[in-house]
Amino acid sequence: MTPPRGRRAVIAGVATSDYPHLPHLSEHAVHGQSADRALADAGLTFADVDGFATTGFFPMYATGVAEYLGLHPIYFDETNSGGSSFEVLVEHAAYAVESGAVDVVLVTYGSVQLSQMGRRLGTGGGGGGGFAPGPAIYDALWGNTLVGNYAMAARRHMHEFGTTPEQLAAVAVTMRHHAATNPQAQEREPITVEDVVSSRLVADPLHKLDCCVISDGGGACVVTTEERAADLPGDPVYILGAAHATTHHLNLSAMPSLTVSPAAQCGPVAFARAGITPADVDVAQLYDSFTITVVLTVEDLGFCAKGEGGAFVENGGLEIGGRLPTNTDGGGLSACHPGMRGMFLIVEAVRQLRGEGGATQVPGARIAVAHGTGGMLSTGATLVLGREAP
Amino acid sequence: MTERWFPDEMPMPAANAETVGWWEAAAAHRLVVQRCTACGHLRHPPGPVCPRCRSSASEWSALAGTGTVYTFTVVRQAFIPSLADKLPYVVVAVELDGAQGARIVSNLVDVEPEEVIVGMPVEVAWEDMGPELAVPRFRVAGHRGERR
Repeated sequence: MTPPRGRRAVIAGVATSDYPHLPHLSEHAVHGQSADRALADAGLTFADVDGFATTGFFPMYATGVAEYLGLHPIYFDETNSGGSSFEVLVEHAAYAVESGAVDVVLVTYGSVQLSQMGRRLGTGGGGGGGFAPGPAIYDALWGNTLVGNYAMAARRHMHEFGTTPEQLAAVAVTMRHHAATNPQAQEREPITVEDVVSSRLVADPLHKLDCCVISDGGGACVVTTEERAADLPGDPVYILGAAHATTHHLNLSAMPSLTVSPAAQCGPVAFARAGITPADVDVAQLYDSFTITVVLTVEDLGFCAKGEGGAFVENGGLEIGGRLPTNTDGGGLSACHPGMRGMFLIVEAVRQLRGEGGATQVPGARIAVAHGTGGMLSTGATLVLGREAP
Repeated sequence: MTERWFPDEMPMPAANAETVGWWEAAAAHRLVVQRCTACGHLRHPPGPVCPRCRSSASEWSALAGTGTVYTFTVVRQAFIPSLADKLPYVVVAVELDGAQGARIVSNLVDVEPEEVIVGMPVEVAWEDMGPELAVPRFRVAGHRGERR
């Protein structure tokens, strides 16, 4: 559907909060810091905001953050699809401004997961006590963990396609390489493939360095119309296409194939809506909860054939100048992963398209993809962003 | 009655309208999957509607309790503190024989983690957790050894 003239959706401002360790801030304060910065980046104020979106782990979460921010929006959204939530929220915000319902949607994220839970948890929690009603119980009885679920997908990928631990490790090595030039990144010390495969196994075949960091942090972006952005100081980034998909909730037993993520469904739809093909993408920000997540995503978005993801990511395939420059801020594997990293993907994609990528800028980047993955490979959401009007 | 493999802090099954029949069968050591009586599609976990034909009519279809390892992981870091002394343990997705590709997630027990491979034949090993509750774990097919 083509929006009315002048109402094409754009991202007019982005920001990250301080990260990765914020023991002095509440979760709401991280939202606040992110919101202040993104609105300032856009050249807007809270008075301009008529729509608001965020999500967290409690019902009526968005209304709570709106209260904290002093917002009384006439549009709000707290769709929660796990790690892909912020791509979904921005897609919804695009529809809201294109329809004319609202003019400026502020989307914020904030988490103090690291300070709240401590480093003890290492690679994400899961399970534990109580009664699990309905189908969820069928996967909850066996002591599996979040990383264990992704490990089972990785094992199956290795079995079907011969993917190696060293190929998975290459993802982590490239993310660390990018993180080295990001002064905020949680882990910046260079690592090698050997370092990754010799780090301790958390859940075979995934090692500690195949897993994302756990951080505090947040971010925000401002979605508005092309027309509204014309009056603002910065260059807008266009939301060219978007789509999201789900294949199952948290039960791997209900996942149709453990080597195909929902990206296979929503990626082609988002690309078609944007009128592009994978070959048109200059830079990608792909959810990297675990190394296998990235391998599945590059295949499912069509950057390579199914089963060829291992070969695609090795030998610098995801570096600047490689096959698909990916996670130029260092990703969740090295820079920052506060639980639902999707907002960071959007912020970094916009920065790349505005030429603000610094040492990891992809020269002349015109089209960027941000793809979030949530749950146990349960949800995917793709945003195609562009420097120029469609 | 065997020793509880996992400690009491683990979640306990809470049956609902769709799953109570499955747990009743399990208590009798019968491994079943839901069969759509309209189109014959087998599904697991149980649910209210056939995802293929949308019929809500279903029955329980008994399986042999055998299958093959579709994928697995060896959990080496416990996130539930009381599981720490069970490490390492194997979580497995079993492709059940005669179930049209339906899979069940469980534990593979009585096995050295290093011996587990994808495609390995396995069979159900029931664990009684109470007078009316049993859960299906799996072991390598033909294995008659002691529980680790």
